[in-house]
Amino acid sequence: MKDFSINLDMVNRHYQEPNRNRYESKYFWEELYSLIAAAGFNGIQLPYEPIWQFGGRSGVPMNTYCLQTKYQSATKYKQFLRDAGIDQVSAIHFDANLFARNDQIGFLFGATGHFASQAVDLASELECPVLALSPSPYYGRLLHYYPDLEGRRSEFLEKTDEVILNLADQANIKGVTLALRAEYWGLYNPRTLASRVSSYNRSNIGLCLNTAHVHLAGESPNAYADANAKYIKHVELSDTQLASTQEFSKSANPAFPNTAATQVFRDVGTGQLNLKEIINNLAQKKYEGCFSLSNHQTRDHNRALLRSRRFVNQLRVQEK
Amino acid sequence: MSNIRYAYMCHWKTVPYKTINNFREFYYEDKSNTAYYSDWDRLLRYQKALGFDGIELAPWDLADLLPLFGSAKNFKEFALDRGVEVVGMFHGAHACHDATKEDEVIAAGKEAVDIIVQLGGTQMNTCPTDNYYGIGPLSREEVQQCAKAIDQIGRYATDNGVKVGLHNEFFCGINRENHREFIDSTNPDFVHYCIDTAQISILGEDLLEFYDTYHSRISGFHLKDTADLAVDDSIRYSQDPEIRDDGHRWFWEPGEGVLDFEGLYRLLKKHNYQGWINLETDGSPDYLASMALSKYYIDSKLKPIYD
Repeated sequence: MKDFSINLDMVNRHYQEPNRNRYESKYFWEELYSLIAAAGFNGIQLPYEPIWQFGGRSGVPMNTYCLQTKYQSATKYKQFLRDAGIDQVSAIHFDANLFARNDQIGFLFGATGHFASQAVDLASELECPVLALSPSPYYGRLLHYYPDLEGRRSEFLEKTDEVILNLADQANIKGVTLALRAEYWGLYNPRTLASRVSSYNRSNIGLCLNTAHVHLAGESPNAYADANAKYIKHVELSDTQLASTQEFSKSANPAFPNTAATQVFRDVGTGQLNLKEIINNLAQKKYEGCFSLSNHQTRDHNRALLRSRRFVNQLRVQEK
Repeated sequence: MSNIRYAYMCHWKTVPYKTINNFREFYYEDKSNTAYYSDWDRLLRYQKALGFDGIELAPWDLADLLPLFGSAKNFKEFALDRGVEVVGMFHGAHACHDATKEDEVIAAGKEAVDIIVQLGGTQMNTCPTDNYYGIGPLSREEVQQCAKAIDQIGRYATDNGVKVGLHNEFFCGINRENHREFIDSTNPDFVHYCIDTAQISILGEDLLEFYDTYHSRISGFHLKDTADLAVDDSIRYSQDPEIRDDGHRWFWEPGEGVLDFEGLYRLLKKHNYQGWINLETDGSPDYLASMALSKYYIDSKLKPIYD
């Protein structure tokens, strides 16, 4: 039986929409866990977002400070999840876009290393096996603050290596695996990232396959899995209707195409990707990790939750 | 010519698009209201249509807004094209009670002033230091240090055509017990006050008496209502009290709480207030509805008293 979890990035924390204010209060999340369980899922993936610590928004359960403020400890939070029917935090995801906000490269990598290190510790405390890590902020966002980005590319890559290897050392002690996420919008494309991971030659540094991201970067998710099977440590099943991101992948906010407004990521099972084929392919490659269902940018997280259940039910019917 | 102009204190969260040109097509993708809240073009048009001719930005807007528009000046011009001017930006003078961080605090304040100038604004409504929880109670020396740091930021702001308006919140290190001591310790030539009508009422100030007393220093308002007056120390001093675990709202649209806005407007008339009043809708589930509801109240109840 494959293990599916629900990625909490389905809740729109950052972009404007009516009723968004609810997402900053603890009560919202505490009911959501029970709804996830009611939809038949017992695992969650947690985005690690330091921003909720800065504005006193500790009701959003997405960093160490917030969990300690509201639950005293990660252990008590985990117990709360268990009581709500959530047995596992399957992965924590971290990205550094928050720290790409000025031209101070020391701040960017210093803050990234500091808060990603907190995320590793939290993963360990929650008995979560994987820290999925976006290897760079958005390319276009970096370019805004560092107009000479291409001239300084090697400097950025060296500093990225330094952060990743330091995290890997820490994660190794804590029993956590780093899964670098192949994305369409950063400094690395999926192939260069896989090459980088191979060069690290560390058993606890692998890849996170986000299916829509890899597709939107111009690669077949199946071919990518074939080529990099031994490195894939975590899978995020995401869907899309788009075929290409060439026109906007290097824009300041590539999740929102500046050429024409559109929803890049669709709810699982409502895009054009053959996710069932990808799942089966990974099973043949002996992938034994969790499949995190990622409904990033959904317009309705409750509907996305039920769409996720519909998707899994259809898989199970076909398996029979 | 009205004495009061109305602006909107920006609480729109990250807005991903400048303009959506394929509005109908985008709507049909999911047939939800997402298309209505995803570009600055429409959000500015909404507020202009409702009579809010200015916008006060917040520093947390900048990390996304500046890359989206390319520069502060570009945003200023984009907003002006839609009839909305940037009136200023909120600022948090974090750690200003701490003498060891004085240089850092002043540098951050000056940097914020510079951005406001680029945006074409004239207000920097400034929250003194951090939340009470973690730093309070402040010593007399720390209160004086807050005043000293803010004075220096205020002097720089004044030299650049910007007014620093102190903006106290009910959960700040500067709190009920030292609020007025702090104000009185700042230099009135350089440091003014922005009354957040709800925040100071929750703090424990009497809104009308406070305005009447400090009217000569008032540089602006954040207009919002509350149903919670003078809340207990145990709440104001607690960790992260602004967003309640159970969804309790501190802030409401004018007329939906208990504050005496008609009394306030009579005082505005008495003191011949001239300037911006910035509506603030934090805590609302629907900013557009709150904006419209508030404007109806302003037009029907307050403008007849003083316009």
